[in-house]
Amino acid sequence: MKKISRRQFLYCSAAVLSTTMPFRPFWPLTGTDSEASRFFDIRGKIFKGDAPAKLWKWSHEGLFYTKLKENRVACGICPNRCVLAPGDLSVCRSKVNIDGTLYSLAYGNPCSVHVDPIEKKPLFHFKPKSRAFSLAATGCNFRCLNCQNWEISQVKPWQVRHVELFPPEVVIEAKRAGAKSIAYTYSEPTTFFEYMIDIARMVRENGLYNLWISNGYINRKPLLELCKVLDAANVNLKAYSDVVYRKLNGGRLEPVLNTFKTLHEQGVHFEVTNLVVPGYVDDTDMAKRMCGWILKNLGPDYPLHFLRFFPRYKLDRLSPTPISTLTRFRELAMHEGIRYVYVGNVPGHEGNNTYCHNCRKLLVERKGYLIPIYNLAGNKCKFCNTVIPGVWV
Amino acid sequence: MKRKSERAITLVVIATGISSVVTQLLIIREFLAQFQGNEFVIALVLFNWLIIGGIGTLLAHLAIKGFWQATANRLGWLSFCLACLPALQIMAIRVLRDYFFIHGSSVGFYPTLAYTFITIAPYGLLLGFVLPYSLFVLRLEKPDYPGALIYMTDNIGDVAGGALFSFILVYLVTPLQAVFLANLPLLAATCFLFTSIRRHHPAAFIGTGLALTLLLTGIFMEPASLATFKGEPVYYRESRYGRITVYKDKEQFTLFMDGTPVFSNQNLTMAEETIHYPLSQSTNPQKILIISAQGGMLEELQKYRPARIDYVELDPEVSSALFRFGLIKDIPGLHVIHQDARAYLMKTDEIYDAIIVNLPEPETFQINRFFTDRFFALAKQHLTASGILSFSVQGFDSYLAETQRRKISSLYNTVSEHFDHVLLLPGQRIFFLCGNRPIRTDIPACLLEKGIQTSYISGFYYGNMTNGRIAGLNNLLDPAAPKNIDESPQLMRLVFSQWFSKFSTSPNRFIVGLAILLLVYMFRIRAEEFVLFSTGCMTMGSEILVIFAFQIFFGYIYFQIGLIITVFLAGLLPGAWFGEKLRGRGKQMLIITDSLLISLLGLFILAMKYGGDRLPVASFLVFGFVISLICGFQFPVALRLRGGDNSVVTRAFSADLIGAAFGTLFTSVALIPYLGIVWATAGLIGLKLTSLTIMATGHEKNKQTSISIL
Repeated sequence: MKKISRRQFLYCSAAVLSTTMPFRPFWPLTGTDSEASRFFDIRGKIFKGDAPAKLWKWSHEGLFYTKLKENRVACGICPNRCVLAPGDLSVCRSKVNIDGTLYSLAYGNPCSVHVDPIEKKPLFHFKPKSRAFSLAATGCNFRCLNCQNWEISQVKPWQVRHVELFPPEVVIEAKRAGAKSIAYTYSEPTTFFEYMIDIARMVRENGLYNLWISNGYINRKPLLELCKVLDAANVNLKAYSDVVYRKLNGGRLEPVLNTFKTLHEQGVHFEVTNLVVPGYVDDTDMAKRMCGWILKNLGPDYPLHFLRFFPRYKLDRLSPTPISTLTRFRELAMHEGIRYVYVGNVPGHEGNNTYCHNCRKLLVERKGYLIPIYNLAGNKCKFCNTVIPGVWV
Repeated sequence: MKRKSERAITLVVIATGISSVVTQLLIIREFLAQFQGNEFVIALVLFNWLIIGGIGTLLAHLAIKGFWQATANRLGWLSFCLACLPALQIMAIRVLRDYFFIHGSSVGFYPTLAYTFITIAPYGLLLGFVLPYSLFVLRLEKPDYPGALIYMTDNIGDVAGGALFSFILVYLVTPLQAVFLANLPLLAATCFLFTSIRRHHPAAFIGTGLALTLLLTGIFMEPASLATFKGEPVYYRESRYGRITVYKDKEQFTLFMDGTPVFSNQNLTMAEETIHYPLSQSTNPQKILIISAQGGMLEELQKYRPARIDYVELDPEVSSALFRFGLIKDIPGLHVIHQDARAYLMKTDEIYDAIIVNLPEPETFQINRFFTDRFFALAKQHLTASGILSFSVQGFDSYLAETQRRKISSLYNTVSEHFDHVLLLPGQRIFFLCGNRPIRTDIPACLLEKGIQTSYISGFYYGNMTNGRIAGLNNLLDPAAPKNIDESPQLMRLVFSQWFSKFSTSPNRFIVGLAILLLVYMFRIRAEEFVLFSTGCMTMGSEILVIFAFQIFFGYIYFQIGLIITVFLAGLLPGAWFGEKLRGRGKQMLIITDSLLISLLGLFILAMKYGGDRLPVASFLVFGFVISLICGFQFPVALRLRGGDNSVVTRAFSADLIGAAFGTLFTSVALIPYLGIVWATAGLIGLKLTSLTIMATGHEKNKQTSISIL
């Protein structure tokens, strides 16, 4: 074989090296948004044979379910539509099939009970300065990677400490705490639908209000039933993208959009929250499309909250959302025509306050949960007499 | 075989040792940057590394028996591959993560196990394969070439590689530059090997050219491989302690340490809580010690106009980045101290009005030291009578999970031994305020009295921190929860348990699987191999114990810990040399050395129990050196007892590696967290006693006799 000189060797090496350079732009991590759209689906699965052998005290026969052949049942509460064989536990971990009957294991056993300012939900246009008796049982029909209540939403009912509060006691406790409303919150209340609806009916009879703080992943029939007793809701629109829903939340977009339509059609006051997750939900076009959909289907009056993301639970390797992104989204949404757009999780931001959509004057100044300035007379702007959407008095 | 070839192969083995140790350290750092930086992950990576190496070693024996005869030519090509693989491996670890896992999300135990195993496998198998294969090549010409000699030669490379990385490369270059530099000797040695076979061997040029191209390409590609799809990387350093990157997204700068966002310049809530919760309790805080800082903390601190602030940060690169990007502000009276905070407190005479600890969760032995009995006692010594200590751990939104409850109970019970009043404030982080005067819960009122303005606390405190919530949290504490002490880090165990529950998983399946594999392995190995297995296990176990103990007594001092690791490698070589020189009485020598190891571990327990802090640093080094000396000694002795043919050598190498793998895993994630340092050492003594008993009771019929140990 002919000898290769040192010089030839160096030239050859340089030539081979140079061929790698054009590939740099195609390098997989050069920083494109394509990452957000890569396919992943983290939707939950049924827990086969994971139901307890016997029912416990805090069980209640499920609502909206269908009996099928071979003792199987189909839960009709949420779009997961779990079909459970005897001994199975649902995706939300709250429902079981015991001998061909669907039961909820989350009835009268809340694991979180607190009294919160209503602004914390967040509900800015419903009975401001009031307090909400807030409760949750375990379970969720989603698998959000950034869940801040995963200790109760992603566990089975028997895995937590709980108190015993059956519906009549909830009403008594709420009144004792001086709360004006009961908020079904923290985990996903749709998963303890039976408990929630029974409380809600009693609450109505007792002159209190019902607040539903939810991901909106519910079927139309149970929602219509709930709407009969519901006073306000805050529904989280996680992203205006089915891909992101499947990737970060383990759900689908369409049923959530249908929930908004139903609430609107039923005349329930609701507010929309959108957590702006960097790299996934901070896309301007997506925000524009979302605002467009809201305006077209719900109108301009429902408050929209853009919330700041902080690394939490399993989604803990992302930066928090830059405040300017939230500011920009707020401006964009208002420019598109939504009248009440807020910025959440940013203390001291102008977007915490309510400004009249007509005269642009400050109506409600919020310093955290405190309201030092309140310029509404009834449900109208003190300055221009415009009716401000919401339930204010 | 020609002398030149023999020399070339020896050089290849040394260079492989250099390359492999540097690669191993880089890979551990890479995994820590890509996955959770807890002790479990570190142990998993090392475990996989050693196990795969052991498998590779066994494969070498199978290969030469069957289809792949040992030749110098093949060894040369394998060495070229070995030189190229580290760059590819690091790139693969970085790039594939986002293909297998959702970007920005953390990963649970089993996916981490699988990912580390798969990505380490190509290099680990090849590395494990090459060492015995080199011996087989040498034995083509010299059938009596001693197996122990290859072990010693490899050790020279290992020591050199460890020292090269720990004391030079880590200060100067990035991972792929380090890979390039660490593999240059291997490329040169391989070139030399080819030219020793035939002058102007084409493979020498082609292989070197390709390998250099690949390694250089890695360096060019490195910045791109660190990019993320959100934010612009504006700062990147590989410090002694890990990877620091700063990303800019719009006007926000976020500092990531090992892939986790830790500081942001817009996290007002954390800054206010960390500073005002403790300082609102102090009448006139003038001297303040902060252990690590949050973005915006110093601006909040300035509102109290303190005379002196000592800010201790272990890693100079972190504080430098924090100042550079305005994450923290240089305020009057600020003194920056780059030292382990515990080591600083042990040496300083300063007394403070407040000590504010701002550290991540106690997931590692290093961080756990700031949440223990001894640390709290130390902190109290440096506080004025009305001084306050504050620290925080991960909190909760609406429900305190059981593991978390046990964790904060353990912390409460530990700290309340030293302070009359301890108050826990719930939130996304749970703050512990500790002092000898009653702690007030109405923080906004305290701040109002001092005339201090806040944004978050003034507006949100009353809604988030109701008396019911504060009382609820404090009432949930379990007075029976064990204390977190240096020697028995309860908290780490709970943090591991929390990590598993976060991913709704448990290590049980892994433990059962491992136990079965171990049992099968035990049935198949011979008594001498068991000695090597137990010695490998004990050596790695004691290395972890010594580093852990050293940190307890002297703080995290990078250079000295690097020295400890180096002496644990350095003793192997002279040990093996002595062992090789020894003729006869092999069994007795194994028994004697096993007894010596047991005595040394006994001494270690005594040192732990009675004043390890009074021992000079050198004693830790001597201990490590003697342990590894004995371990090195046992290898050739056991090898000779078993006969020393190719099959025996591969089995001996494997036993050593597999033992080391189990020693690493069990000591760091099971023995120390669950049993504490003393019982962990006792566990290693138990293992060595088993080995001693087996050797003492076994009959030495002849060197070919196989005695299954079970």
